[in-house]
Amino acid sequence: MSAIDISRRPVHRRPVDWWRWAGRIALVLLMIFTVVPMAWMFLTSIKSQFAALQYPPQWWPAEPTLQNYWRLVDPSDSIGQEFLRYFWNSFYVSLLTTILGVAVAVPAAYAFSRFRFPGRTLLFFGVLVRNMFPAVVFLMPLFLLMRWLGLVNTHGSLILTYLTFGLPLSIWLLKGFFDNIPIQLEQAARIDGATRFQAFLLIVMPLSTPGIIATSIFSFIGAWNEYVYAYTFLSKQESMTLPVGIQRFFTEFATDWPGLMAATFLMSVPVVVLFLILQKYFVRALTEGAVKH
Amino acid sequence: MAEVVLKDVVKNYGSLYAVNNVSFHVNDGEFVALVGPSGCGKTTTLNLIAGLIPMSGGDIVIGERVVTDLDPKDRDIAMVFQNYALYPQKTVFNNLAFPLQMRKRPRDEIERKVKEAARILDITHLLERRPRELSGGQQQRVALGRALVRDPAVFLMDEPLSNLDAKLRVQMRSEIKRFHHNLNATVVYVTHDQLEAVTMADKMAVMHGGVLQQYDSPANVFADPVNTFVASFVGSPAMSLINVEVASHGTNALLRGPDGWELPLDARNARKALAASTNKVVLGARHSTLKLHKSAVLGAAPGKVYTVEPTGDITFAQVFVGDDVVNISLDPSVHIEPDDKVWIEFDQGRLHLFDAKTTNALKAA
Repeated sequence: MSAIDISRRPVHRRPVDWWRWAGRIALVLLMIFTVVPMAWMFLTSIKSQFAALQYPPQWWPAEPTLQNYWRLVDPSDSIGQEFLRYFWNSFYVSLLTTILGVAVAVPAAYAFSRFRFPGRTLLFFGVLVRNMFPAVVFLMPLFLLMRWLGLVNTHGSLILTYLTFGLPLSIWLLKGFFDNIPIQLEQAARIDGATRFQAFLLIVMPLSTPGIIATSIFSFIGAWNEYVYAYTFLSKQESMTLPVGIQRFFTEFATDWPGLMAATFLMSVPVVVLFLILQKYFVRALTEGAVKH
Repeated sequence: MAEVVLKDVVKNYGSLYAVNNVSFHVNDGEFVALVGPSGCGKTTTLNLIAGLIPMSGGDIVIGERVVTDLDPKDRDIAMVFQNYALYPQKTVFNNLAFPLQMRKRPRDEIERKVKEAARILDITHLLERRPRELSGGQQQRVALGRALVRDPAVFLMDEPLSNLDAKLRVQMRSEIKRFHHNLNATVVYVTHDQLEAVTMADKMAVMHGGVLQQYDSPANVFADPVNTFVASFVGSPAMSLINVEVASHGTNALLRGPDGWELPLDARNARKALAASTNKVVLGARHSTLKLHKSAVLGAAPGKVYTVEPTGDITFAQVFVGDDVVNISLDPSVHIEPDDKVWIEFDQGRLHLFDAKTTNALKAA
């Protein structure tokens, strides 16, 4: 009996659940593993260049400064201009990927969920087969395709590519959501005077908002973080997205670790914010249908 | 309000006929129950009337209009679903208002009609709640309210009581009956529970295997079932059916049971028995028409008591006659035990004869 156990349960003594404690310890270790690099990234980003390269390292910056951040977001500075351009490119590509993805995935998932048509099962699994292959496998074929389409060095090439990655999962997720909405609700709406489309728009869509939001986050984050395709398809500096752009920082300003870390930190902000705000929908989407309501 | 006419309605999925040539006529203001075991096609028939699934053949008329090719929204119907199908994201008020909003009624009219419906169904205090905050009975009322609010030509109800507990079901049963009475509404009501059909409906349509077996008032269906299926489906406990053979002597006839017992038939029953396509017939009798004896009586069938179920005012017993089970009701003062040997006497005026081969009721030729 450990001391904690006794103090918590003065009446009902239970043996220590070692599995539970082992699980907790494992989680703490895992958290340290993920948080420490991020913390170090942030700490480095508020150091001066000199402090960042000191050995033994300064664990806590002696003179914390936000100089690196100001420089990145200052439109009058050349580095700031570059960074903001990459940031905008990434945002633009991710947002368009998300909007187009949802616009295609919602009706597709609804059709898979509600209609019986020839080849339905085959098509549905066909959509998923795409996800069985590593992304790199499609790198050259897609590059050739994009060149043939004249899309190399355009954001269109990235949006198209990201759609092919994002859609299968989006469709799969949304189908699960639609499957869980009783068909009688639509039937009731149709009897109450709605057309089929109105029933979908007024009854089904509001009920599947969590799924649509979760799908959007997936899609956005996927596009936001993607590196290999962006690196291959885009060679013009002004059209680069953040992951590739930061790479340029890395080479050009190889010694500017604080600047690089500040850029990386800023890049992770939208993803973290999205996740924090919408995480409850996200979890719900992944577990939807797992248990009966 | 309006009448509903089904003409040779067919719904098939490939070679599977869910609804096969069903025709019936629901008069204006009539309460018709579609009844049958699960998978008999009753819900499919209702969905065809609603227009929720396309028909494979036939025509449906509501009021003066042929609605066969119309969308559900254009058929002027309202439907109450088994799981109520209340819109979970909307308040009760907005659930009731939805059919009116869809028809672009002015706001003050919507408000007035919703309040009126809520008052009739006694759910005024629930208007701001959401469906998941309501009990089953309350959800049921809201579902009825949503159907009522629009004043449709026909009410369609798909097993509306089957999700309620036993006590509430009996209560809502009388409320729906009252609802029909007050509105003088045309109602088509699907149920698998023959008791609901018998107690509520003006007419019942008994379905089996996608085919309409009998369409008549509950009293007539009860008194004159057209075949052994209807006979055994309607009534609780079910009508007892005993497989027997006919032996004839000129115009006289007697039934011979599996254990060799014999029942001489009166003239009318003899004519019926002799009209059978083979010498095998099925003898049917309701529990209340049977008399139980503890010693042999002429024409009585010998049997062995299987179970005895006292319910208070009546005791039900199941008796095996050969391989067939006979349900019989007894005065509670009669004392019998399982495995007792008993004799069952039939009331010739109230027994039913069916052709064993075609299962149809035999008519006196």
